[in-house]
Amino acid sequence: MKLSPLQQHLRYGLLGMLMGITLSYIGFTNYHETHKMFLFADLRMLFTFAGAVAFAAFFFNVLVQGLPSSNKHLHPGVIPGSLIFGAGWAISGSCPSIALVQIGEGQLAAVFTAFGILFGVWSYRHVHRRFFRWDSGSCS
Amino acid sequence: MEYWTWWKGALALGGLTVVCALMVGRMLGVSGAWANVVNWRENREKRKTAAALRSNAPAMQNALLAATLAEFGESATHQAFANQGITLPTQPVARALPTSGVSCTVHLTFLAAMVLGGFLAAIASGHFELRLDLGAAHTRLFGAGLHEWVALLIGGMLVGFGTQMGGGCTSGHGLSGVSRLTPPSLLATAMFFGSAVAVSFIVEGFA
Repeated sequence: MKLSPLQQHLRYGLLGMLMGITLSYIGFTNYHETHKMFLFADLRMLFTFAGAVAFAAFFFNVLVQGLPSSNKHLHPGVIPGSLIFGAGWAISGSCPSIALVQIGEGQLAAVFTAFGILFGVWSYRHVHRRFFRWDSGSCS
Repeated sequence: MEYWTWWKGALALGGLTVVCALMVGRMLGVSGAWANVVNWRENREKRKTAAALRSNAPAMQNALLAATLAEFGESATHQAFANQGITLPTQPVARALPTSGVSCTVHLTFLAAMVLGGFLAAIASGHFELRLDLGAAHTRLFGAGLHEWVALLIGGMLVGFGTQMGGGCTSGHGLSGVSRLTPPSLLATAMFFGSAVAVSFIVEGFA
């Protein structure tokens, strides 16, 4: 899809804003709600997530075909990386978008989460280059 | 506050995944945006190199051959070329190189807009409140003040490192990948969700 830089900024900006609003209204930014979901004490957000996946799956696989595919590749980092991410999610109550939405809501403690994410992303590049160097499926 | 019922949230979140693919021609993924922003300098160098190689076919052939030799070794490479009678391709290679994609400033806009979205939602729903903790449930488990902030910093580091290592997060693997039935994403989602459940029960047990 060819878009001018301004169009890209506007479209990504709109998507980010809608995502922030959606996550806030679902309650993903509320640690208590997230914690209850992981303990299976409240299934509302679990159903929300499963329903979202089902809706998107119906659209991508039944209604419309030929849209850009997901470029995820199986490599040795998928399992350990995801286990590490899950632990971080349970501790901070935040996946990469949540910390930002929390800051917008005024939950300023999430600034620490955001700096943690920043450092984690930054350090991974160096650890990967030094120790792993596996093919994650893209040249970039 | 009263949160959306599950079907309302599912429609909004699933709709967003679909709208993203339609609006920008790429699947939704937030950890990728983080990587683009954090690694902007390295990516810029890569794009420069790619652009230089794209406009110089002999140099690119040399670079590809050098990379092939480095990866597979000299004898194996010559063997493979001889066996299949392959001559170095000229045209298709240029098109196979990654195109410029979306710049890091666009990804930065994407991330910044999430902060704005959170602000707007909090204002609209009347629960905007400047506070230095994540609520009673989090302070009960991790303590208040410095203890909580250190926990968030460590948790954030695990999130940042883990999503890069695993190649995606809740949006990229969970929403985009699983809805496309991509096997690595199904695996990753099972792993990070299972891990989060296990750690939550452990933390709750220690509290």
